[in-house]
Amino acid sequence: MTTKTFLHGKPIDDVIECHEHVSPVSLYVKVLLSLFVLTGLTYAVSFADLGPASLWVAMIVAFGKATLVAMFFMHLKYDDRYHGFVFLSTIIFVAIFFLFPIFDLNSRARLNEEQGTFFRVNQAGDWNEAQRTNKGQVEAEAKAAAEAAKDAAKAPADAKAVAPAKP
Amino acid sequence: MSSAHGQGPKAPHAFFQHHYNTVEQQAGAAKLGMWVFLATEILMFSGLFLAYFIIRILYPEMVLGSHELLSKTMGGVNTVVLLFSSFTMAMAVRSAQVGDTPGIIRNLIMTIGCACIFMVVKYFEYTGKFAHGIFPGKYFDYGRAAAYAAEHGHELVGMPHIFFGIYFTMTGLHGVHVAVGIGVLVWIMLRAKKGHFGPQYYSPVENVGLYWHIVDLVWIFLFPLLYLVK
Repeated sequence: MTTKTFLHGKPIDDVIECHEHVSPVSLYVKVLLSLFVLTGLTYAVSFADLGPASLWVAMIVAFGKATLVAMFFMHLKYDDRYHGFVFLSTIIFVAIFFLFPIFDLNSRARLNEEQGTFFRVNQAGDWNEAQRTNKGQVEAEAKAAAEAAKDAAKAPADAKAVAPAKP
Repeated sequence: MSSAHGQGPKAPHAFFQHHYNTVEQQAGAAKLGMWVFLATEILMFSGLFLAYFIIRILYPEMVLGSHELLSKTMGGVNTVVLLFSSFTMAMAVRSAQVGDTPGIIRNLIMTIGCACIFMVVKYFEYTGKFAHGIFPGKYFDYGRAAAYAAEHGHELVGMPHIFFGIYFTMTGLHGVHVAVGIGVLVWIMLRAKKGHFGPQYYSPVENVGLYWHIVDLVWIFLFPLLYLVK
């Protein structure tokens, strides 16, 4: 019994065919020059003050370069599409892997603020200094000690205030 | 362009293994295996990239303050060197496809040369950091690193040892891949010298090429994220 097999939507006889494609040298040279241009672009853009957009610009250019390398140097454009499927499914799983922690980190500050549950040491003051001297902890300890002393001073007074009423 | 594809099945070659039906099946199995390996490589690096993004989100000032100490020029030179080596690697595979053995050897030697230049630049970058107390993790010398940063008009913010921990781990693991790459490139170059490769059989050249391109792809993302991004 024979089964009809399809590849890229066309019936084929040989199911174990390996696809080959010899690209012209000029194509490789063009890809290399494009990669150099894109590298120069990211390098130049890094000196411009783009603020938060700089990460996006750098990532878009990096994805462009990666696409050129994968399509032409790694032959994915001409290759058996199954190899592209393996590659793209990896990228999709990496995207899922990145999505949840990054979503969490970017949204938890708002949630914490809303519920008043969490404090970051560096929200106010000099984070650098706080790190070097453990300022946050030192301050917290000093505050706790001061409060304890205040309570201790208050306690006899309270005792006195309460004491006369007792007998 | 002449292509072996479409010219009918290939004749068995010296490296044709008995458990495959055809030469094409053997080449296809080798290539699919390589792609699955590359998928695991991407997933391994993705963990480190995510670690980078997490520290970047949590401590943006620290990442921005620390990354100024990395040399954009050295990183840029290494990027150009690796991109060029990817080109020569692709040319080596092409030479194998068209049966040009001297071409394979010539292109592989250029690729190995670029890989060595990359490692030498990396060596100077690392020793330059070590000289100023910039070590990964707990070996980080805050005082010396801060003095070095001040000399160059930058200020260290927060916990730079975490940034440099990520920097050394990511570039270090990438460097290990380059070193392994040099090893496998030398291996296929020696085999090419024995005349093992031609249009009939070039799977090792092609698969080492795929590996080399993945090493390049990782660097394409490492370079802007570690050296350039503000």
